[in-house]
Amino acid sequence: MNDISVIKVFFILFVVDYIESLVAPFLLQGFISLPLTFLAFSLIVYRSNSNTGSIFAFLIGIYVDIISDSPIGLNAILFCLMSHLINSYSNTFRLFSYFQICLFFSASSLFFIGFRNLFINIENFSYLELLISFIFNSILLIILSISRFNFLRNISKR
Amino acid sequence: MSRVAPTRGSKTLSFLFISLSALLLYLDTTYKSFESIKNIYKSFAISTSYILKKSTIDPISYIYELSIDKSYLLKENKELKLALDKSHLSNFIISKDSNFFANDKLIENFLTKNDISNIFYLSKIKSFDTQLYFCCSQHRVFIEIFNKPNMSLVGSAVINSSGILGQIIHDAGVQEVLLLTDKSHVLPVESENHFCNAKGNGDPGIIYCTYSTLLWPEEIKQGQSFFSSGMGGVYPRGLLIGHVGEIIKIDDSMIRFEIELISDPLQDNVLGVLEN
Repeated sequence: MNDISVIKVFFILFVVDYIESLVAPFLLQGFISLPLTFLAFSLIVYRSNSNTGSIFAFLIGIYVDIISDSPIGLNAILFCLMSHLINSYSNTFRLFSYFQICLFFSASSLFFIGFRNLFINIENFSYLELLISFIFNSILLIILSISRFNFLRNISKR
Repeated sequence: MSRVAPTRGSKTLSFLFISLSALLLYLDTTYKSFESIKNIYKSFAISTSYILKKSTIDPISYIYELSIDKSYLLKENKELKLALDKSHLSNFIISKDSNFFANDKLIENFLTKNDISNIFYLSKIKSFDTQLYFCCSQHRVFIEIFNKPNMSLVGSAVINSSGILGQIIHDAGVQEVLLLTDKSHVLPVESENHFCNAKGNGDPGIIYCTYSTLLWPEEIKQGQSFFSSGMGGVYPRGLLIGHVGEIIKIDDSMIRFEIELISDPLQDNVLGVLEN
């Protein structure tokens, strides 16, 4: 990580995980799952100037597993996959529009939600929740990616 | 700045860590192998939040609660004082009620001792301005008669366990008693062959007699007892009124002396009203 130090990443993910734990109960009433921690990690990897190492993704994943009380390895495996995917397509993303990138991250979050629900919420696995979450996350990311809401990019560049 | 595409080595490393993560996930979901690590983190998080709360929020909330407590204590203090006043009042009433029968017996004993067979009604002092009693010449007591008969009791003598106090001058719901020491009161008294109209002068516990030595040549002595003469029909005859105190010679023929009353209106709260 060239742009954000490891300690900062740990701190950001801790705060985002806390916010996610506060927001999740309200969103779940509308069948919406918003994986803020996963999206934050994806954004950090996406905005990085260099490739993120697998060890880093693995350790961050284990860390998020511990602080979010998820099964150990769940976030680690998904973070490793995501970092590998972003690293692989980092140059290809330059050809994509923001809309396409937003759809990519929404699809990633959809995969994350589905995969997580397979392990921790298999009894209540809901395709409706996946569909609504996908639409919601797509709209949210598109709104955030619009230039006047592009403060996230400015923050990550500092 | 473009990013380098993953090399074969980094791909292998990614696969390795994905496999390792999968293994950990399997171990955790199947055998709960990492529960202790999670518990350590939870206890650490709880302890940290507790310490942070203790060192930041608690002092602020303590100051706030202290201010709330102060106002609460003031309010509670007022309530307790009110309750204490009520308690004092109820205890006063209870203590007076318990004395009621004692006063009843005392008055009865007084009447028996003085061989008086008049019917009497028990009454209770409603109002007595003691400040007026000690400073001024108007000595009045307002009483309330228990089981009052359907007749006017104006002119009836009022007694307590120590003796005659005065007579009722108004009877309208609450009875007004004119005390012996009131300036407008006159009490016919006698001692052996001596008769006198003793007048109140506004002095507590003292009434005065004035007589002419030309009409009453016998000498008056200090400590001599005077009794009610029964003249006028208000007070029964033969009740001890008091003893002679100071004797003053006004001129060659006129003598004025004090009679120190044996009755004290401040002694009892329960009085007896003798039916005429």
